[in-house]
Amino acid sequence: MKTLIIEMIEPKRLGELVTVSREFCEKPDIVAVGSGQIPGSFAKAYQVEDTVASNLISDLASLILKEGYEIILLSASTLGSGIAAPLSIKLSAPVVSEVIGIKPELVVERPLYGGKAVATYKLKKMPAVLTIRRKYFEAADLQGFTESKLLGSDGKKVELITEREEKAEGIPLEDAEVIVSGGRGIGGAENFPILQTLADLFNGAVGASRGAVDEGWAKPTQQVGQTGKIVAPGVYFAVGISGASQHLAGIANAKCVVAINKDEEANIFKRARFGVVSDYKKIVPVLIETLKEEG
Amino acid sequence: MHIVVLAKVVPDYEVPASDFELADSRAHKRYKRMMGLYDENAIESGVQLKEKYSSTLTIVSYGNKDDIPVLRKAVAMGCDKLLLVTGSSDDASVIAANLKMALDSLGDVDLVLAGQQSADMDRGLVHGMLAEKLGFVFIPQIAGIEYLDGQWKVTQNTETGIRELECREKAVLSITSVPENVPRIPAVRSIFAAKKKAVDILPAIEDKAMPVDEVSVEIPKMESVCEFLPAEDDIAETAKILLRRLREERYI
Ligand SMILES: Cc1cc2nc3c(=O)[nH]c(=O)nc-3n(C[C@H](O)[C@H](O)[C@H](O)COP(=O)(O)OP(=O)(O)OC[C@H]3O[C@@H](n4cnc5c(N)ncnc54)[C@H](O)[C@@H]3O)c2cc1C
Repeated sequence: MKTLIIEMIEPKRLGELVTVSREFCEKPDIVAVGSGQIPGSFAKAYQVEDTVASNLISDLASLILKEGYEIILLSASTLGSGIAAPLSIKLSAPVVSEVIGIKPELVVERPLYGGKAVATYKLKKMPAVLTIRRKYFEAADLQGFTESKLLGSDGKKVELITEREEKAEGIPLEDAEVIVSGGRGIGGAENFPILQTLADLFNGAVGASRGAVDEGWAKPTQQVGQTGKIVAPGVYFAVGISGASQHLAGIANAKCVVAINKDEEANIFKRARFGVVSDYKKIVPVLIETLKEEG
Repeated sequence: MHIVVLAKVVPDYEVPASDFELADSRAHKRYKRMMGLYDENAIESGVQLKEKYSSTLTIVSYGNKDDIPVLRKAVAMGCDKLLLVTGSSDDASVIAANLKMALDSLGDVDLVLAGQQSADMDRGLVHGMLAEKLGFVFIPQIAGIEYLDGQWKVTQNTETGIRELECREKAVLSITSVPENVPRIPAVRSIFAAKKKAVDILPAIEDKAMPVDEVSVEIPKMESVCEFLPAEDDIAETAKILLRRLREERYI
């Protein structure tokens, strides 16, 4: 099947979509969004520098119709969600978002009800547009680079004025092998640094629940979950987090979850490998001390 | 200025997995009905814009008449009007077509706000489809909105940070959650006043569903394997056991 990947030039995101594309074809084509060289080997590569989704829809639709693409792959990201739905209407194509599983014969799976259920769909018409949830597919190793052709852009509807990267110190959340996440139970922004201290001792990163982000104690880029980052670390410490299904949706592929919560009934214990029923203010400082003593 | 907020009433999204059951591939009817969480962020954003620019604020929903009492919460929060299209499809394209019909009936809409994702379908498609059908610009994950010199200035929360965007055209924005749009809790007086507000009701129009078959919906099993570590008296010992167990199982 003729497959087109539309994605930012970012090796992990591209790699995951290349893995998915192998379910449909040997070598996909790509529209690479942003500037820089395109890593990996693609049959045909187009590049567009404008990274604002709404400015790309018309040109993408024309290209897809002209080239006769059958499967369009994007990740479930700001870019992907900005493109997928309008594009599907322009193409009169079916669209399935947040895909977490792909089976033979155009059968795809996605979550429902905050991840408490999984729905299976069969695509009945092409082209079809899919957005793929991050971290559910292994990122393919991208060898070499592909030369690209510039894709035209007919006029900007939306102007990008400024862009600010929220760079956290240390290792990015998605790459960390250990994540220490805090929730509403942390009680205040002033209590978050202690989680950072614990994370640092593991060379890890600090995440948060939507509860903590809504309170303003952590940055939106730190949110883990269905509508935040999807992570798959070796160890995930959930501290003062109740374990709502929408939060668990972000850690489905974490290997070991350690829950620290003073409510023994909290749902997080149903997902945890190890549980400590305690006020985090008691156990976290002791964990830090013990790790420091051990050096 | 006329602003529309799209809102959807859903089954309680806080029901834990252990209590969750399906009937006919959808959440069992016994769960409480409530406004979607991101939809409440969108309503809050709309009310703030109304306060700032003295705009008219209309809530538009596609769904069931029985959910009108839940939708009234939006009026209590500060919306002027409720418009419901009665229908029961879950197809994103059918919902978008019906919302378009409702917006066309209003005539003079300048801006449409919607939640980033509904709290039952987890998909984030309806607003983008509606935008394309209306010929409006669609911008997802918006955390802040201003109207300056004839254009919308919006901030978008991306995976990596924050963007400022400008747009002169009519737009559909999906709203993400930030501390600034945590929904207000309406006063008792407003709740009572909202109960008296008339609701405009439109019958649904027919539209073709997307060529996708829903084959099945299942609840994945969540296996509970939690090893509780003793934490009553000697917390130092608990910390040591935890670290030892993590090492034994080669997690760290
Ligand atoms: C469409 C949709 C998408 C969503 N997306 C996300 C998402 O991406 N990520 C996300 O996280 N949520 C998401 N949510 C929200 C989710 O439903 C929950 O509301 C949220 O996860 C709750 O955050 P929390 O666990 O921090 O807060 P709470 O549920 O309030 O839990 C706080 C916990 O802290 C414990 N606690 C309190 N004090 C202490 C203490 N001193 N020591 C130890 N424990 C303590 C309490 O026992 C409690 O269990 C989404 C919701 C919807 C509807």
